[in-house]
Order: sequence, then C-alpha cells, then structure tokens
Amino acid sequence: MNPILLYLLLLKATITSFSGLASLPIIRQDLVVQHHVLTDAQLNTAIVVSRTTPGPVGIYVVSIGYAVGGIGGAIAGWLAMCTPAFLIIPLVGYAARRVEHPRVRSMTRAVVVASAALLLSALLPLAHDTLTGAVPIAIAIGGVTALLASNIEPLWVVVAASLAGLLQAL
Amino acid sequence: MPSSTSKPRAAHDVGDVAVSSAPPLGSLAWVFARFGNTVFGGGSATMTVLERHIVERQWLDRRHAQLAYALSRVTPGTNLLAFCTGVGWLMRRGPGAVVALAAASIPCSVLAIALTVFYTAWTGHPLAAFALRGALASAIAIMAVTCWTMLRPHVRGAHRLRVALLFVGAFVLASIGGLSPLRVLAISAAVGALWPESETR
Repeated sequence: MNPILLYLLLLKATITSFSGLASLPIIRQDLVVQHHVLTDAQLNTAIVVSRTTPGPVGIYVVSIGYAVGGIGGAIAGWLAMCTPAFLIIPLVGYAARRVEHPRVRSMTRAVVVASAALLLSALLPLAHDTLTGAVPIAIAIGGVTALLASNIEPLWVVVAASLAGLLQAL
Repeated sequence: MPSSTSKPRAAHDVGDVAVSSAPPLGSLAWVFARFGNTVFGGGSATMTVLERHIVERQWLDRRHAQLAYALSRVTPGTNLLAFCTGVGWLMRRGPGAVVALAAASIPCSVLAIALTVFYTAWTGHPLAAFALRGALASAIAIMAVTCWTMLRPHVRGAHRLRVALLFVGAFVLASIGGLSPLRVLAISAAVGALWPESETR
C-alpha cells in the first residue's frame, strides 16, 4: 500500500478518536475489512506490542504501519499518530474557556462513550478468532480480573500470559 | 500566557509553583525522551510523571501544566502526545512543541518496530507460537479493560441512563447496523451536542 494512502487512512482513524485504542475500529474497518492489507492476527500483535512498549498505547499505529508497509509504513504510522497532537495548540491558545461549555462537554463525552462501544464492537470478532480454547479463555479472564482488581501494569499481564502459553506447550 | 519567542524565556506566568525560566530545547528533549519513553501503564501514568518533572523543574507552573493535561483529554488522537505538544508549546512555542512531541514519540516508536519484527519473526516457532497465543489472549483482556476504563468515569452520577443509551446505540449502529465507526462517532457527537447533560449531578 502507498505510504501516503496508508498515512491518510491511519490519520482518519487517529484524528477521529480520543484515546489510544479507540482508533482501532476504524483501522480494522479500513485495513482489514476493506483493503485486506492487514490481518486480525497482525492487529492483535500490534496491540501486544503497544502494551509491552513504554509510552502511549497509541503506539500500536506505528506497529500496524510497519506490518502493512515496512519502514515507510512505520513512518506513515508515526506521522498519523503525531499529527492530531498539534490540534491542542489552538485549544490551548484560544479555546480553553469553551471546553467547559455544556454542549461541547456533552459532545466530547458522547464521543468517548461511543468510542468505548466501538472498541467493544471491534473486540468481539478479535476475541472470536483468538479465544479458541480453554487456555486462551482462561488467560483472558485471568487478565481482566488481574487488571481490574489490582494496579498491575499491563506489561506483566502480557508476560504472564506468554508464560502461561509456553506452559501449555510443555 | 507565555511569550511567543523561540528563545528560553525568563520568569513567566506564575501559578501555585514558582517558575524561574523556560528550558533550553536540549533539556526539554532529554526530559521528554527520558520520562515519555520509560513509563509503562499508558498515557495517564506517563503524563502524571512528566507533569511532576516539568513543575519540579519550574519550567511551567502547575496551573498551565494541568490546563494542558485537561485539554489533551479532548484533543483527538493520543492524549499523551497532545499533552507533550501542549506543554512544549506553552514553554517554548513551536520549537518546544515539535521537540517535546518528537522526543516523547520517536524512541518508543523505534522500540515498537523492533518488537513487531521480533514477534513476527518468532511467530513460526512452535514454542513462540504458544507464547504469542497467550500474549494475544491477554491483548483481548487489555482491550476489554480499556473499554471499561473509557466508560467508567461516565457511568457514575446522574447520567447513567444517558450513557447507557449512547453506548448501546453506538454498539448497535456499528455491530448490527453495519455503520462505519466514523459515522457512528459523528452521530454520537451530534446527539451529544443536541442532547446536553443536565447540570444537576
């Protein structure tokens, strides 16, 4: 895929989402379902990468860019991840007071809630493909429990899950 | 507001923390590279650490740092990178924004590429395949918890029914109606604007 087209598709996803993985549904729709340049497995790998890398969760866009187009794709992903950040400059400069306007606040919250619904919508087919046995299901349930019940960092959940997968092989 | 010069500035707007001077770009790059690329736990954890170091170094008063934090939450894209760009701009305008953004994003991007290569290369190995299958199952768990983390602040208080309707409506439009995520977000934004929350909480 042309890196410029890849950049524009990833930018469409990042600039219309308000947190790291919220852009995932649009990326899956464009790259997996529509253009067939990415697989669900690669998408899942990118999520794992983002949780075993320090910094923002949105870094998974770089991993997706690399999976689709090598180094050029990774640069496209990095640019798509970074570009929306500049939108904060006019916000800081001119729109700080309007952020607390009831309609603006309500609209922002509605978008965040819808982003969560879209994430769940994208999660279900990925879970269907990934949770294909007792061990993966147990790992997923254990992971959710650990993350909700403690302050454990996601990195350690990924490490523990990898070890659990290895134990299954042995 | 700070002045628009690209040179390090002397004392500026003082909040609850005394501010001595804006940082040289090299120091700015080092702090954002150091603390923007070494904290696990996502953007919120990293932003908290960065804000503390910026305020402790008296590069920016706490009021401005928290303003950037709040606005980064309503800026599209990755909140952490918006925060870095915002505080970089407040400290050193355009050059500060670019340096902070680059320093906070390039090292972890390089690491992400390396890990993608590593995971992809080892996918074919039987043992690695088992490990990766476990890791992918954990990714599902992480996504599910992320979904709840996004939703949790909004399901408290007097607006639960409104949030539930918005959530179910968006889910149905996407999963059953087959609408693209972009359209679902646009519809949700319109509903949010036309149906503002009541002020009573």
